Amino acid sequence: MTERLSGRADSTIAAAAGPLRARFQQAQLSFWAQSLGMVILLVVVLATPGFLARPSILSLLTTVSFIGCVAIGMTLITISGNIMSFALGATVGVTAMVFILACNLLGFGAGLLVGLLFGSLLTGLQGLLIGWVRANPIIVSIAALALIYGVTQAFAEKGTIYAELGTVPAAAKGKVAGIPIEFIVFVLAALIAQFILSATRFGRNLLMVGSSFRAAEAVGVSTWRTVTGAYVWAGFFTSLAGVMLAIRYDSANMDYGVAYDYDAIAAVLVGGTAIGGGHGSALRTFVGAMVIAVVQVMLLLRGLRQEWQYLAAGLIVLTVIILQARGSGR
Amino acid sequence: MTLWQRLDGPHARPFAVLLACTLLLAAVDGGQGRFLSAATAYSTLQIFATISLVTLGLGLTMMIREFDLSVVGMYGMAGCIAVLMGTQHPWLGLWFALAIGVAAGIVQGFIIVRLNLSSVGLTLGGLLVFVGIAFVLTESRSLPYENLGVALVLNERIESIFSIRSIVAICFFVGAAAIFAWTRLGRDIIAIGSDRRAAMTAGVKVDPLVISIFAFSGLCASLSGVLLSYSLASASPAGLSDVIAPAAAGAILGGVSLAGGSGRPLGIAAGALTLAVLRSGLNAVGAPPFVNDITLGAVLLSVAVLDGPYLARRLIAARQWWRRAEGA
Repeated sequence: MTERLSGRADSTIAAAAGPLRARFQQAQLSFWAQSLGMVILLVVVLATPGFLARPSILSLLTTVSFIGCVAIGMTLITISGNIMSFALGATVGVTAMVFILACNLLGFGAGLLVGLLFGSLLTGLQGLLIGWVRANPIIVSIAALALIYGVTQAFAEKGTIYAELGTVPAAAKGKVAGIPIEFIVFVLAALIAQFILSATRFGRNLLMVGSSFRAAEAVGVSTWRTVTGAYVWAGFFTSLAGVMLAIRYDSANMDYGVAYDYDAIAAVLVGGTAIGGGHGSALRTFVGAMVIAVVQVMLLLRGLRQEWQYLAAGLIVLTVIILQARGSGR
Repeated sequence: MTLWQRLDGPHARPFAVLLACTLLLAAVDGGQGRFLSAATAYSTLQIFATISLVTLGLGLTMMIREFDLSVVGMYGMAGCIAVLMGTQHPWLGLWFALAIGVAAGIVQGFIIVRLNLSSVGLTLGGLLVFVGIAFVLTESRSLPYENLGVALVLNERIESIFSIRSIVAICFFVGAAAIFAWTRLGRDIIAIGSDRRAAMTAGVKVDPLVISIFAFSGLCASLSGVLLSYSLASASPAGLSDVIAPAAAGAILGGVSLAGGSGRPLGIAAGALTLAVLRSGLNAVGAPPFVNDITLGAVLLSVAVLDGPYLARRLIAARQWWRRAEGA
């Protein structure tokens, strides 16, 4: 992957030397294409009967939030130049379990803390291996996936664990001003991640490490700290999803996060974060997650069965990836 | 060259790991005849047949420094297509699924080459589309395969340890190894993985070769998907998706590096066989199923760390720091 990064750097330099006007026009073109796509989507959505009805919007806002939080975490990993993690879905499940266990033992507040800390550390540990010895991120995440499933199976034979009655306060499942708490957490997560990326030194280092590892190292960025940090934050946002799922269902099992990794990376790519790293934003991932969710709900409301949602998500991702490649002129 | 260095060399390591795992399991078994039996050999080869072809396809794409994520989706989709098409005529279902696998591989390879795309991104899109198609075709259900005769034939024991499935897989590996040993193709593939620009300068036809490797990867994934679905007499769009971990693990254990330019078909076979031996061996000695997951994860993690390009540098730095701390 190092070689690929340096190859990318070469092509960036070559592109910068090309006629500036052509690049500008291309950027404008892709901006207009994106805006046009959004307007068409909006029109089709508003024309779909039942979309603006309250229940369908509320359920949309809740379901998108779980995958959305994982996608925010995945964004940081992708930006750091480490493509994606296959272990985030499993992290959602195991965090939910740890949260329920800690809730039953210590109470809600402490459980929340333990759950979030656990998820952050678990993913941060993978980041440490990836950053410190530059272990291959894909392999580390697949190894973590197998380990997480193996260890949880060893500990929880029955599969599902339940919260004791009354440990999870009813207020945590409610709405604030008519908006589900899950969605508020998702928006806050996107804002925090965006703040980290664009307003802190760590965020700037992260973008630098992602766009050119060697250059970042040469100017004295502590690359392993930056990569580890990205994974710690990714774990934090992912465990938010796990905790929220556990709160919603008063229980936890390993099926909670299944396939979230793929949904999350789909949202990241549709949002326009570069798969090679070094460029992207959490707010764009937010938009990406919303676009996929809106299209899926629309298909459902128009009478297409559930399975068409999967196909639609795949086609959207494929189209966006191909269009991005054309737009960036690579 | 000492014996240890020779065993740890890139070509011998997969076989050394395989031998070590086999000896370890035999020692755990302690001569009770649970591990070193024809039944365990048969189940090892059955598991080998299930995972090894996907591993070969994925491993070849890793050799040219690409990564074909879509094998996961192709595996499931091909099984569903074959079961839907092949109730009356099993061969028809097989050929149809294989044709779709090859075509999808060619399309993906073509787009990657023409648009100079990252293969992880594009094949991720491919993966999601294939999974979507599988769900649409099966209407989210698990499909039974009515033609039970086919399942029986595929799993029937030949010479007490083989079956048609495992013989097909072995034939693929023998063929790939022969091509690598006696033609330019293998060297061209390694050259593309080591340095694509240099390979192009040296006259390797890079683009057609990349496309055909993606086509081959699609072929392998769909073939093993079809064989598995036929032999289980069912296909489901969701149930087959846990194939990426063993496939990547097998390729890595087989000496393929994600940085490209290394690996051999027989090494990949040894890697896949190691995983199969571990799974069936642990099963035979009565270990609970999660032990297999934990072993798989631990092995993968160690290989990832040992292959980390900064490991030596970090260890030297740590030793210097330790000495300074001792001196002070």
